[in-house]
Amino acid sequence: MMAAFRRLGLLACAFLAAPLSFATENTTPREMWHSAVEMQYAELSAASERLETSAARFCQGPDEALRQRLEDDWLSAYQAWQAVRFIQFGPVEQNSRGWQLQFWPDRKNLVGRKVNGWLKAPDAPDAQDIAGDSVAIQGFPALEYLLYDDAMDQQALGEPNACALMQAITTHLADTTSALHRDWQAFGEHYLATADYTETTLASAIQTLEQLEDKRLGEPMGLKGAPANGYLAEAWRSGQTVRLVESSLEGLRTGFLPGLTAQLREAGALPLAEAFRDQLDKTLAQASEQSSGLVSALDDEAAFRGLQSLYLDISQLRHLLGNEIAAELGLVRGFNSSDGD
Amino acid sequence: MQRRQVLKVGLGSMAVALTPLSWALPAREEVDWLFSAVDDASGGHFIAGVALDGQARFMIEVPERCHGGCLRPDSRQAVLFARRPGTRMHVIDGDSRQLAHTINAGEGYHFYGHGVFDLSGRYLYVTANRLADSAGLVRVYDAANGYAHVRDMPLEGIGPHELRLMPDGDTLVIGLGGIQTHPDYGRVKLNLDTMAPALVLMDRHSGEILARHAPSHHQLSCRHLDVAADGTVIAGYQFEGPEWETHPLICRLDAAGHFSELALPDEVTASLHHYTASVAFSRVSTNVLVTAPRGNRVLLLDAEQGRLTTSLELPDAAGARCDGNGGFLVSSGQGGLYRVTPDTAAPELLASLAIRWDNHLT
Repeated sequence: MMAAFRRLGLLACAFLAAPLSFATENTTPREMWHSAVEMQYAELSAASERLETSAARFCQGPDEALRQRLEDDWLSAYQAWQAVRFIQFGPVEQNSRGWQLQFWPDRKNLVGRKVNGWLKAPDAPDAQDIAGDSVAIQGFPALEYLLYDDAMDQQALGEPNACALMQAITTHLADTTSALHRDWQAFGEHYLATADYTETTLASAIQTLEQLEDKRLGEPMGLKGAPANGYLAEAWRSGQTVRLVESSLEGLRTGFLPGLTAQLREAGALPLAEAFRDQLDKTLAQASEQSSGLVSALDDEAAFRGLQSLYLDISQLRHLLGNEIAAELGLVRGFNSSDGD
Repeated sequence: MQRRQVLKVGLGSMAVALTPLSWALPAREEVDWLFSAVDDASGGHFIAGVALDGQARFMIEVPERCHGGCLRPDSRQAVLFARRPGTRMHVIDGDSRQLAHTINAGEGYHFYGHGVFDLSGRYLYVTANRLADSAGLVRVYDAANGYAHVRDMPLEGIGPHELRLMPDGDTLVIGLGGIQTHPDYGRVKLNLDTMAPALVLMDRHSGEILARHAPSHHQLSCRHLDVAADGTVIAGYQFEGPEWETHPLICRLDAAGHFSELALPDEVTASLHHYTASVAFSRVSTNVLVTAPRGNRVLLLDAEQGRLTTSLELPDAAGARCDGNGGFLVSSGQGGLYRVTPDTAAPELLASLAIRWDNHLT
């Protein structure tokens, strides 16, 4: 309850301080990116609060309808995160927030180990305990374990320990995403004033497409030199892998494309923006035609072919942005600069 | 069998390949050859030995990306270290241009990408992580005894990175980055809110910590450094906090042991994008060079005055070392090798290679 009040108070202040409107005639690409992403973070924060509320309702009186509502709210908050995941700089880097929301890939099943550790703990955790623990327990994958893992068949989610853990995680998530939204607003002045963020934003979107192609589809599907491994897929427990991919593509459509188009228009290269939009729409259509899981497609030839088509569409999209558009805009990506050492 | 690959470019390299490598140690007066961790165009990992004209070179394939290196005094060996959280260090024989040894960090440990020898070239000091308790260590190896592991010296802190030997030959200076990582968690930084970075002086014989200087902000990760002949240390930070803040990124420990941070103009600090890579003293003057890959630039500083001499654009500026004549050699992640001198207006491109240089030149 305290946490909720704290968030409300800060949110109100942030709204007062926010610029009235960016929707003027001469909106720059960075202004467009900043305001579009602001809305995406706002949606992530709101969806996380809905998830927190439905977790609390379910725990007060567990039944099938409330459980369904809980699962729906978990997915929609997770999808809201996917939509804005193409921003890999700024406030999301603070305190490893991106990792807090989604620890993945999880080759050692740290999520499962952490959840089970807390389920067996003598004292149920609160949000503060979760905030002080590992990124493996702090985000959507830990909630997914509680909602979908086979091991949870033995332990009803409505039991006190499981419910307390779930509520603590959803409260931590709501706190994190609320702070992220607030900090993105505060970050605006610096983002708009610093020309280098144009390149940073482009590079971040390219990296997102590379991750989509290589890590989120290529590796679990066995297209990157090693055998297919469904456990490397995101959201394999719930079978929502492809829906998350789709949400990331939709997030690029609403959050990234408008600023990119403005940037390419300034550079006199509007046809490239149109080509990117067309390929993005084609890829989105391809994604929406696939069923939601990746693991199930590994044993289903027709479904696998569909995912291969999606993979190829994303690959073309990545090429368009990472090669043709990057070259047009003079973007050169560093070798040593992308990863601190 | 060790996997090895020798690449030669052009006919000129055949003649050069017959002349011995020049090794005036410990601070080679004239540099003929450079060693660096590199990736090739297709992402393969190598240790490269490259002549200054960029024409003659050899490449040794390694299984993981490497980072820094050091020369072994009174020998023909150089050692290059796997990049965090890698587990191998590779001893290169400069005469045969082959891998002489590969030493593994051992179960439960990884390296951070840097090491240094004592003046005799017998003991090698390597920064490492003991995974069980995230303890930052200096691990000691005996090169005269097949690089056998001798002992560990704890740093009472997390994430040691580059280290160098002070001119007294007895003291190590170590950049303690303060960042906790664990291979199970990949490259996730696990303790950004509780980091405790430092510049540490350690007695290399006893392991006693002689001094510990904390940066002005707990998220200023102290990583890379070099030592002048008079014992002045310059170290570079990487800031892990909010990127809209500006904090000093370069510190100095003067010859009298006084620690301070250089007050550069805010716009200069901001141009580094919170990130410094290599630090190299000229050794014939008080000039020191700092590379900033994210800022695509190098800074030349007068270490004695603590002042900026010049700031030059250099794309993805990575490794740096002195050239023995008061200037510097600087590599770029995009393949270029440059010479930077205090009196030139722009870096001079010496060679452009189809390789990606990692952050350090040896």
